[in-house]
Amino acid sequence: MVELKQVSVVYGEQHALRRVSLSVEKGEFVFLVGATGAGKSTLFKLLYGELRPTEGEVWVLGQPMHRIKPRELPYLRRRMGIVPQDYPLLPRKTVWENIAYGLRAIGYNESAVRQRVAQVLALVGLNEQARQMPNQLSGGEAQRAAIARAIANNPPLLIADEPTANLDPDTSWEIIELLMRINLRGATVIVSTHNRAIVDRACQRVVAMDRGQILSDVPRGGYPIELDRLHATVML
Amino acid sequence: MIDRLRFVLMETWESLTRNATMQAAAISTACIALILLGGAGMALYKLDATAQSLPGQFEANVFLKMSATREQALQLKAQLEAMPEIERVTLTPREVAWEQEKQKLAEDVNLADLPNPLPDKLTVRVRDPALLPAVAERIAQSPLVEEVIDSRKELQTVMELSRLVRWIGLGAGGLLLMASLILIYNTVRLTIASRQREVRVMALLGATLRSIRLPFVLEGMTQGVAGGALAATLVLIAAAFISDYFVRQWPFLRDMPPGLPPYIVIVGLPALGALMGGLCAWWATRRHVHI
Ligand SMILES: Nc1ncnc2c1ncn2[C@@H]1O[C@H](COP(=O)(O)OP(=O)(O)O)[C@@H](O)[C@H]1O
Ligand SMILES: [Mg+2]
Repeated sequence: MVELKQVSVVYGEQHALRRVSLSVEKGEFVFLVGATGAGKSTLFKLLYGELRPTEGEVWVLGQPMHRIKPRELPYLRRRMGIVPQDYPLLPRKTVWENIAYGLRAIGYNESAVRQRVAQVLALVGLNEQARQMPNQLSGGEAQRAAIARAIANNPPLLIADEPTANLDPDTSWEIIELLMRINLRGATVIVSTHNRAIVDRACQRVVAMDRGQILSDVPRGGYPIELDRLHATVML
Repeated sequence: MIDRLRFVLMETWESLTRNATMQAAAISTACIALILLGGAGMALYKLDATAQSLPGQFEANVFLKMSATREQALQLKAQLEAMPEIERVTLTPREVAWEQEKQKLAEDVNLADLPNPLPDKLTVRVRDPALLPAVAERIAQSPLVEEVIDSRKELQTVMELSRLVRWIGLGAGGLLLMASLILIYNTVRLTIASRQREVRVMALLGATLRSIRLPFVLEGMTQGVAGGALAATLVLIAAAFISDYFVRQWPFLRDMPPGLPPYIVIVGLPALGALMGGLCAWWATRRHVHI
């Protein structure tokens, strides 16, 4: 489903990723953990084709993202649910319109839009908030709305970049539960976070990153201890 | 398909209503540029038509001396017709010319009792306008000829006027056209910047590049059409006033050939506006909208 082979990304002088290799199978749920600046967002941008690797290969849904043609990119992205780290929602549209917008943008007709929006709103539990503007939502509701929009087209792969940032522990856990529920319905889910409590509790595969490299990859683990130590040394 | 269209139009509308000042600036510059181009176009068309309606670069009028007899006139006509440079010669006998003149002026003065003051006239048509000066000079040397008049002077005036209009109209219009292209480009660029989130969201959701760019291009076209429609209205109103004024000053202008038909202006300027607005908006999206 997702495969990175010896991928490096260099921004000017700085190495954002250094020879990263990673493989995610269909149906998996993967946490990508690491401190700010570890390279999580960079890795995600490679997956949905917003960034090309400086070196190495990136395969997603059987397609070579490292040399995908711009013309083919949109059709591939329709098979990925993407929850970006910044600006997940359009600020001047209601929750309902935000989700509908995405479906219209890829050519759904109005009756299909209405049907799908209602379905995903029910799935993420936002029926009540459908008519609210993003700034009226709590952080957790906003994340759920962004997730709803990402999964509206029923993608086989869901990528969520730090959906629990700035959320309290209970709300964070609700979001992770929602993502695991989507995973159980068949989608492969990759989610980045640096929230140790939810990673420990979820007991899923954990890939730990530090300064552009993969530090550890545990099939059913918690937040790696060594990462905490590294954080401490970085702090010092 | 209809939903698709509605979506694109909604997006365009949102762009257009986002920043009213910028839109007004782009539309009014486009309008001024198109006024100049449209005005110059109309004036040029009129001048061209006038130049063509003048007796022409091909003809000269040869007025004979009053003393010349009809026989001498016919002889001269035959001589001239024999010249290789000359295509055709027609004789207007003085009595015919006088009848015409009397009729033309019948309303204003009574010329019935006056003696005929007009001489016989030969209208000479050459094969090539370049030959006219030399031919006119040669004919003037004949002892039978009082005066040779060709309309090159009037023609030259009209030509000079039309050259002036062309330079001013196309020069200033062209400069303003450039300015309005830059302004439309910039307005669209600013709209794109203000809609970065929408662009990114659409791109991440898998909207095609073309469908993301289309609303911006339509925005540019709308600005062009609005500017063009405004320009057409103003140009036509101004043209009506100007021609009214001139005709009142010089009534003989009433006989001038008609100008550019208004529907060409009404359709042409907005179409031109749409073309230039669409083109530079398209260019702006090519530079600034990526997925
Ligand atoms: N557009 C960019 N230009 C230059 N450097 C960047 C850019 N984006 C990210 N970086 C750098 O790359 C590294 C990884 O960033 P990122 O992938 O955003 O990390 P994370 O998402 O784990 O916080 C950081 O050091 C960051 O400063
Ligand atoms: Mg990040």
